[in-house]
Amino acid sequence: MTLKHAFKTAFTGLKTNKSRSALTVLGIVIGITSIIMIMSIGQGAQDLILSQIQGMGSKTIVIIPGRQAKTPSDFAQTLSNSLKEKDLAALQQKNNVPTLGQIMPVVIGAETLYYQGNTDQPTVFGATDLISQFFDIYPSQGNFFTDDDVKSHSEVAVIGSKVKDNLFGASNPMGETIKIKNRNFRIIGVLPSKGQVSFFNFDDSVIVPYTTAQNYLFGINYFNRIIVTADSENDINRTVDDITTTLRNSHNITDPSKDDFSIETQADLASRLSLITTILTLFLTAVAAISLVVGGIGIMNIMLVSVTERTREIGLRKSLGATGKNILFQFLLESVLLTGIGGIIGVILGTGFSFLISVILSKFLAVDWVFGFPITGAVIGILVSGIIGLIFGLYPARQAAQKSPIEALRYE
Amino acid sequence: MSFIKLENIAKSYLYGEGEVHALRGVSFSIDKGEFVAIMGPSGSGKSTLLQILGFLDKPTSGKYFFEDKISDSYSDDEIARIRNEKMGFIFQAFNLLPRTTVAENVKLPLLYSKIKENEWNTLAQKAIEQVGLTHRVNHEPSRLSGGEQQRTAIARALITNPEVIFADEPTGNLDSQSGHLVMETLQKLNEEQGRTIVLITHETHTAEHAQRIIKIFDGKIESDSIVKNRRKANDMELLK
Ligand SMILES: Nc1ncnc2c1ncn2[C@@H]1O[C@H](COP(=O)(O)OP(=O)(O)OP(=O)(O)O)[C@@H](O)[C@H]1O
Ligand SMILES: [Mg+2]
Repeated sequence: MTLKHAFKTAFTGLKTNKSRSALTVLGIVIGITSIIMIMSIGQGAQDLILSQIQGMGSKTIVIIPGRQAKTPSDFAQTLSNSLKEKDLAALQQKNNVPTLGQIMPVVIGAETLYYQGNTDQPTVFGATDLISQFFDIYPSQGNFFTDDDVKSHSEVAVIGSKVKDNLFGASNPMGETIKIKNRNFRIIGVLPSKGQVSFFNFDDSVIVPYTTAQNYLFGINYFNRIIVTADSENDINRTVDDITTTLRNSHNITDPSKDDFSIETQADLASRLSLITTILTLFLTAVAAISLVVGGIGIMNIMLVSVTERTREIGLRKSLGATGKNILFQFLLESVLLTGIGGIIGVILGTGFSFLISVILSKFLAVDWVFGFPITGAVIGILVSGIIGLIFGLYPARQAAQKSPIEALRYE
Repeated sequence: MSFIKLENIAKSYLYGEGEVHALRGVSFSIDKGEFVAIMGPSGSGKSTLLQILGFLDKPTSGKYFFEDKISDSYSDDEIARIRNEKMGFIFQAFNLLPRTTVAENVKLPLLYSKIKENEWNTLAQKAIEQVGLTHRVNHEPSRLSGGEQQRTAIARALITNPEVIFADEPTGNLDSQSGHLVMETLQKLNEEQGRTIVLITHETHTAEHAQRIIKIFDGKIESDSIVKNRRKANDMELLK
């Protein structure tokens, strides 16, 4: 039998039982659709996270007080007061960290803001004017505070767009005075709406000099973070090493396992997060793969029924000169074609759905989402469904091939 | 030297706890070009005999020679090839593929043959012409009368130009008019093309179209005789 006629015969077989074929292949279609969606969305999420991290600059290094959390219960250890003004001074000394570009301490908290009966509860950032450069945020009205403001603990604030809306509505906030912890802060700048930047949403925040935040708002003498840039990307490792040495000296630490601070580079963060999304994608793919196996078993089931129902046809073909191999191949081809077609439909549906989701996310929810056609997913999806057809079609096809022609012709 | 030769063929089926002896020692031979009818009451072993002749089943004991070669010596693939090239089968239940046209049904054996595809249509046309169904080429079996369906099956049996045609009660499901047409076709194939035909029937009337009648009873040959007044299917007087 020629390949062409083998295909024709298999197609005819599937067409003759159209609705059954469609139902049989549904499991495969759903499985492949979900795999494609998971892969496409997983990729999109990863790209999104990475691009947000990149938004903070790839030369950025973050120093976190406390020992690095090793287990979730370890978390309390990270809330530490180990980073203080003297560390800042030590890091700023050129001979300690020669490749240090810029450095900014950060304190973070939540406070209630009052303005003429309106209140708001944004995140309060205590920082320096470098926050502008680090996070690429520039006031649309007014300016950031200056180094002098930091030195003199000025009670000035830059507010995010949402805070402005909540407290001031449509009126101009510039120069107005708001109350935080019973102290008067003068508004000197308003940030434009920017949405999420890295892990922060500055729309819903108020930024004040860190000295002011430490002394008048939070009553602390330590920092929650110190953010540093290296001179260039090539200097990152060296900078991290120098910072580590400097801080150990400053804290009199000799045993590295007793470090009371940890250092995170953007590269670390990126690779850690992409590992998380990769694991998540793999896990979900595995779940979808189980649905494929279930679909495969469904196919085997229905193929077995089909073989029994078509016993007469099998007997007839054998009496007309078909060999066992011919019959085996016919049924195998039917199941591979069936699952292969299911795989193609699944790829089309999965791509369509992920595209739809990307449109919804980017157009309607203003998420910076990029749709990517998961080529590997598509190829693997179609291949896998074909292989499932092969594996789960083999047993029924062998049953068909082994039927004796008289048993087959007798079957009523 | 004979075309088909049976020596003491027995066939028994295991059935539940007991055994059914469908054939109990059958011997005869058939030459090329013969038209043989096998008669006998229901359950006498006619179909069993035909299945052994057509390599569709194996005897429990005894020897079957096809073209002077003992049947055991053929491999499964050789048997498939013999069924395809040298044998044609016609069944009581027609056994056509549903939702498949007359032409496609007739071409079915060619799928498994070595015949080149560019000859298929000509061969199908010829076979369909021989059974007088040219006007039904594109019909599906569900739109054919019983007689037309059986003639389609005959055309299918003919298409590979086989040396022998095995027909198991080909007229059993047909009215006398259609049965007559089928017998006419078989007789023509035998007389004009010299094809060997082995026909099973339990009607004397139908059996008398053959040259020779083998009667079996309870798995044994009861008689084996030449038909003296052979019926001619194209002799309209004899139409019931
Ligand atoms: N697969 C089988 N298993 C058990 N017994 C069988 C089987 N096939 C046939 N038989 C028995 O063998 C005997 C002969 O059967 P066979 O079909 O050859 O009869 P037949 O002469 O063709 O009858 P009919 O005219 O009714 O078609 C019967 O008793 C039948 O019940
Ligand atoms: Mg019978």
